Amino acid sequence: MTNELVRIGELIRNRRVIVCCGAGGVGKTTTAAALSLAAARAGRRVLVLTIDPSKRLAETLGVSRNPPTPVAVPPDRQIAAGIHAPASLDAWMLDPKLVADESVRRLTKTPEDAERVLSNRIYQQVSSMVAGMHEYTAMEALHRLVNEGRYDLVVLDTPPSRHALDFLEAPRRLSGLVDSSALQAFLPKRDSLMARAASKVIEKILGAVFGEEFAHELVAFMMTFSGIFSALNVDVNAMRTFLSGPDVAFLLVTSPAPATLAEAHFFQDKTKELGLPFRGFVLNRSRARNTSKRWPDETSLEDLPAEAKAALPRLQVMAQGELDAAKRDLSLLTELEQRAGTSATAIAVPELPEGADDMLTLLTIADALAAS
Amino acid sequence: MSSLQELFTRRVVLMTGKGGVGRSSLTAALATQAQRKGVRVLICDIGDDPNDYSPLARHFGRDRFTAAPTLVAPGIHGVVLLARSGQELFLKSVLRSGTLARAALSSDALRRLLSAGPSFKEMGVFFQLLTLLRAKLPSGEPEHSLVLIDMPATGHTLSLTGLPELLLRLVPRGPIAAALREGQSYLNDPKLGAAWVVAIPETLPVSECLELLEGLQKTGMPTGGVLMNRVPVDPFSAAERSALQSPLERINPLGAEGFRRPVLARREIARLRAGTKLPIIELPELAHGAALISGLADVLEKEGRTS
Repeated sequence: MTNELVRIGELIRNRRVIVCCGAGGVGKTTTAAALSLAAARAGRRVLVLTIDPSKRLAETLGVSRNPPTPVAVPPDRQIAAGIHAPASLDAWMLDPKLVADESVRRLTKTPEDAERVLSNRIYQQVSSMVAGMHEYTAMEALHRLVNEGRYDLVVLDTPPSRHALDFLEAPRRLSGLVDSSALQAFLPKRDSLMARAASKVIEKILGAVFGEEFAHELVAFMMTFSGIFSALNVDVNAMRTFLSGPDVAFLLVTSPAPATLAEAHFFQDKTKELGLPFRGFVLNRSRARNTSKRWPDETSLEDLPAEAKAALPRLQVMAQGELDAAKRDLSLLTELEQRAGTSATAIAVPELPEGADDMLTLLTIADALAAS
Repeated sequence: MSSLQELFTRRVVLMTGKGGVGRSSLTAALATQAQRKGVRVLICDIGDDPNDYSPLARHFGRDRFTAAPTLVAPGIHGVVLLARSGQELFLKSVLRSGTLARAALSSDALRRLLSAGPSFKEMGVFFQLLTLLRAKLPSGEPEHSLVLIDMPATGHTLSLTGLPELLLRLVPRGPIAAALREGQSYLNDPKLGAAWVVAIPETLPVSECLELLEGLQKTGMPTGGVLMNRVPVDPFSAAERSALQSPLERINPLGAEGFRRPVLARREIARLRAGTKLPIIELPELAHGAALISGLADVLEKEGRTS
């Protein structure tokens, strides 16, 4: 146990993976992008890995949406952002369907095998709706990229979900399915009388639900699918072990709302339960800093035009509202700091009303995070 | 009839929108208003896990709803739609033999298949919803005349509204197809079903709102309108704004950000108007707390008469 205080600025310099968790709409993708910018500015080779980001973020970083592999942020943008070789910034906005296709090609023995799966109509229509597929592919990509050694740091922007850690649980559900023993039950049995009877019942059930023809097709598909993806199954467990290690930091990205404290509490408990290294809260859109702002003294307002003077009382009402909000945000930040204790941190990122994903804004946040 | 009043004549309304825009609060407020109008309203959460914490249920003083509709406030029922419950209902309805249904539900292999198989989760939720829409009172009237659903994130919403078309291409016959077509007859009929998008006047929520509207249209889901939540009131005239502009830049006092906010909000609302013909109903910022829901319901009631 160390008494050293955790700081975000330290995490971006010495961790290999930073996982940004949080509900939708709290600025998680923006935070992930800012963290990766900050790390690249600090001299590291960085990849930011995100699922389904806003179009503008892709535009700001100058990368296309959903390429099949990570792409470098264009050199002029890297230079403009103060990133100099050998440091680098790559981004990958991954499309689960493309990653699944990639995995199929990589894990099948021959191109013909791959083609058979990829052209299967069930695969084409619903592979993206296999529960946990998004999370599974994100996890698999992360595992591969970390092991390849091309990057010093991978920042992962997790898919939005009500429960911040759902992406860790979801691959489990999928591995429960691809574990080959689960699907054996659906195959016609020749061995024991008991097994034959059991599989007869299941056949009847599937037949009644899907119709016989489609039931056969579905089971055949699930068998092929699980045969391929069970090769990835090992990785899920290996990944869980890696994510529990000292090279990794989990951050909860959140914003001021009535439920923020409850969410923070839940997240901290859950990471503890799963043995994951929780390292801090990033409170976005916080007005906490505005508590130091003051209403100007009378002398500076004396030379205002009459029209503006008449409007001042209303501006003052607005100022009071801002001050109240700022105080609320500050007390929220204080509570988060207390909750973080000594093994984690809490940091507030100011509200950025212009929309938080142009390059200048990202750099402002990156600097604030790096300095903290 | 205004578009908002029409909402209360539908059988099923999907409340959609980005996280953090106040979707659950508005779902609760609409339920309150529906109840005031004498509509038998059922509000639904979509849960992954029966132990999920529900922001919607919190408005009714509880951590979560149950898988069977319960009275959560006078005249308002609440329920959580769970994939598992819907799948069970479906298996029971299809496998007429009780033994077979029990065997199905106790099979570990089948349970694993249902928990991760392609689109089975969405299908479970869809079927539970259909069961609730079908439910009748002894008088023959629908038990829940309005089913109001607090939908999860955009991606999940489109998975659910796009489900029937997607699956019917794969399974055009049989009990699944029949259930999907019946569900479509509610959801995709503009007299019975509607999706409303909740947004706030900021860049990202408005962009996501436009994307969502486009996605809903592609899946054949009728749209009712946009509820623009937390629109800041502008207390200044245009002349006052221009008179204050340069002194504020010089002094930058407390309140300067608040001063800019209404202008940015107008700009975002204008951008949304340029992108959709749907009615956009603007709602003011209200303080969080016990009075939020009834306050929102009052505003909605007034808007319903005028918009």
